[in-house]
Amino acid sequence: MDEVRFDEVIHAPLRLRICGLLRPVDRLDFAVLRAALDVSDATLSKHVKTLNAAGYVVSDKVASANRGDARRIMWLSLSPAGRSAFDDHVRALQKIAGPGGT
Amino acid sequence: MAEVNPFKRGCCVRRIARFTISPGHLPHRKEFSTLAAMESNSQRPSRDEAAKALNDLTADRERLVHSIRVPWLLLAGYGGLAAWWVGSAATASPGENYEPPTIGGLALAVVLVVAYLIQRETGIRFRSIGFRAMLAATGIVVSCLALFSISLGLVSMDMPWAVAITSAMAFASTTWLAGAAYRSAVEILHRG
Repeated sequence: MDEVRFDEVIHAPLRLRICGLLRPVDRLDFAVLRAALDVSDATLSKHVKTLNAAGYVVSDKVASANRGDARRIMWLSLSPAGRSAFDDHVRALQKIAGPGGT
Repeated sequence: MAEVNPFKRGCCVRRIARFTISPGHLPHRKEFSTLAAMESNSQRPSRDEAAKALNDLTADRERLVHSIRVPWLLLAGYGGLAAWWVGSAATASPGENYEPPTIGGLALAVVLVVAYLIQRETGIRFRSIGFRAMLAATGIVVSCLALFSISLGLVSMDMPWAVAITSAMAFASTTWLAGAAYRSAVEILHRG
């Protein structure tokens, strides 16, 4: 019987949701992700930093021509390791939620 | 009176919520309860919790898809490029001395710049655009080639003014097909 593989980093609900939104895209703007999750900048930053430290999320900052100050657009994407860990985690959830799950 | 332990997790969360974070950045109460729950619960979820987590993933994706607006203004840039190319047939001289317009490199540069601007505008770069979007992109190329050929025919019949019509048709068809391609790519995102 296959053992479900939980990832402790992704297990946190918000981090799971972040990975869930990054999974089908190549990359996503931090502001778009924040709006989709309906969370504050600080909350999202904290969890992105955790995912970044785990090597699951890659961030890339570029200058924004639309902004007069020094702020930049932060692009976020899942690394190959992040995609693999997320897929395994979702499979584990599906296994639990499906018929015969506990 | 019971002594308060400042190192107790729940206590710290409450203190941060009350005193450290400025009101402008204060997360919702719901977020705090979620954060506290997720930090303390690293056990295997129950069946209901797992189902809820999967439903949340679907709901987030739907919210993201519904928040995406088709960038028609930028897509009209593709229409303008197509109109320009088809319109260039008006200055061509069909026949033995025909020389095709040499705007290929410039057109490619404009396509790439508009694609980059669309990403910046929408904040999304798609991993794949899907079969329907590829079909729409092929439709753009085919319709532009057909309209360019028709334009050359019109010029050879001493009707260069009619190229304005084919040029307008190229603008409309390319913009519409580019919009269809974008919507198709968004649908792919919805399906995951």
